[in-house]
Amino acid sequence: MAQGAPSRVDPVRAARRKPRDRGTAAERSEERTDLLGERSVELSRYFGGKIETVPKVPVRSLEDFALWYTPGVAAVSRAIQADPESSFDLTGRWNTIAIVTDGSRVLGLGDIGPQAALPVMEGKALLFKVLGGVDAIPIPIQVESPEQFIATVEAMAPAFGGINLEDIASPKCFGILEELSKRLPIPVWHDDQLGTAAATVAGLLNALELTHRSVRTVRTVLLGAGAANLVTARLLLALGHPARQLTLVDQKGILHAEREDLDELELHNPWKYRIALTTNGGGRTGDLAAALEDVDVLLAASTPNPGTIRPEHVRSMAKDPIVFALANPVPEIWPEVARAAGAAVVATGRSDFPNQVNNSLIFPAVFRGVLDARARSIPDEVVLAAAKELARGALRKGLSDRHLLPTMEEPEVFPHIAAAVGDTAVRLGIARRKLSHDEFLERARTLMGRPARLVRALARARLTPPMPRRRPPRRGTR
Amino acid sequence: MSDRADGGGRSSGPGGTPAAPVHLRPARDADLPAIVSLLLRLKRLNEEFDPLLKVRDDAEQQARQVLKADLANPMSVVLAADGVGADRGKVVGFVRALVRERPFYAPEHEGVILDIYLLPLYRRHGVGEYVLRETSNALKAKGAGIVTAEFPAQNEIASRFYSKRGFRPITAVQARSL
Repeated sequence: MAQGAPSRVDPVRAARRKPRDRGTAAERSEERTDLLGERSVELSRYFGGKIETVPKVPVRSLEDFALWYTPGVAAVSRAIQADPESSFDLTGRWNTIAIVTDGSRVLGLGDIGPQAALPVMEGKALLFKVLGGVDAIPIPIQVESPEQFIATVEAMAPAFGGINLEDIASPKCFGILEELSKRLPIPVWHDDQLGTAAATVAGLLNALELTHRSVRTVRTVLLGAGAANLVTARLLLALGHPARQLTLVDQKGILHAEREDLDELELHNPWKYRIALTTNGGGRTGDLAAALEDVDVLLAASTPNPGTIRPEHVRSMAKDPIVFALANPVPEIWPEVARAAGAAVVATGRSDFPNQVNNSLIFPAVFRGVLDARARSIPDEVVLAAAKELARGALRKGLSDRHLLPTMEEPEVFPHIAAAVGDTAVRLGIARRKLSHDEFLERARTLMGRPARLVRALARARLTPPMPRRRPPRRGTR
Repeated sequence: MSDRADGGGRSSGPGGTPAAPVHLRPARDADLPAIVSLLLRLKRLNEEFDPLLKVRDDAEQQARQVLKADLANPMSVVLAADGVGADRGKVVGFVRALVRERPFYAPEHEGVILDIYLLPLYRRHGVGEYVLRETSNALKAKGAGIVTAEFPAQNEIASRFYSKRGFRPITAVQARSL
């Protein structure tokens, strides 16, 4: 981005400069990550964080406070007391969500605690606003157990129209999401499970289309059995993928019903346990190589190491194999290596290769949709509706092995995802507000388009300071 | 025990996987290797519940000896659960129980279920119920007036299983390291 006021709003653009043509891909990637990190610390200090609250009402004089605050506001409180649902009309609740984390699995950094997770949550709040028009409040919480986490989020729910769980370790994230979804009257989402899985499924649907396959007959291996892949497995099964033809592989090898650690899984990770009992109908055992023989699709969401998937693995797969290597920042196999080994379609989690499977393609639009429908929950049908609409979005510019999914540069797709989400919520009877498809679409376009104008206006008015040159002088921001 | 019983009432498992019924029968010497491996799975599961249930390095050898002695003991009940259909002839679970005297209480003999284990695919859908019923019958046939079950105190799955079927805690065993 040029120095000075941003010409357009694109928080991922900074991370998208093409790597220079020298060194190995891994070295380039590492070098770039270091540079971005250094700059990010500088800028965080300079701007004093990334978000702030701004009034949405006119304040002409101090007398207006009598309307926005006491005594006038008491009547608004009474109205909500009489009709609690009216909190969605009379306050910002309709568009406000909490981003809650315990800091137990932040990015690739691991268990760094809630305080250190705050910059990530602030960043997510920024993405929510800029991409989805959603007011998101970062709330990292210090808790000692999943039960305490659940009770804390339940206690804060009256202020919010939705909850976004973020960066919580697997497998406790499954129980927390399940329990909160049951208890709360508002949608609860965990991006590491649902967002990544939805984007993966969208990419896969198009990859299958490209290679003339059907999800109902395909054979698939999921490498990695963490938050994302366990949900990807569940969504694929919901789409009619034969359970027998789905195989999960983790650090201990192929997951199967008689594996030695199954009893332990039943106690500590019942979600993985259930998948183990229903999948891998051929009873395959062994390592990744044994799993992949003659399989059509490999969806890897495991460890960032380009040697995890080897060319011979890809060669042993069925004709025209589909390979998604989604580990970040370094994929399990470099795309050019996978292609040279015969992969027909390759996707990664990175923006500097074609076919980025990116949850930012999903979560802003899903929240736009559920908030506009004032939905009570986000069932898998809604997640699948978002995935299918994202897949459809790629057709606008033409589906190809290098354009599997829309990119962040195709924002016209996102309101359609929001509308599909809204429609599905209405159809499932979980919407408090039943708009038509066109109304959802129009509303999403308006609300998702507004933040870009807002940010530009703030920059023009110099209310947002321009981007400083490198190494800015320290300056107080409070 | 009936000659040809099965888990009964099993239609299908989660996700549409055909649920596999089992067939219980008295264990034989030839079943020992399979039962040893299942017994070790169970003991390793128990280890998850409490560090005082840490499995010994020589547990496999011990398991072989203990099971061999059980097979020779007229007061022991060792049942093997065979798979049926495609899994016919494969031991997919077992029960190990013992009738012992109660010198101070009536009834005079209790049948103690010491170990009960089924591979994950062969659980639920009435299989446990069936295994418990068959085991109780075998213990009763050897003179037991009550049936008891031993399992780690923290094993809530086992605890729920038995209490749903009319069991209640009658003695407690507590432990600490020395």
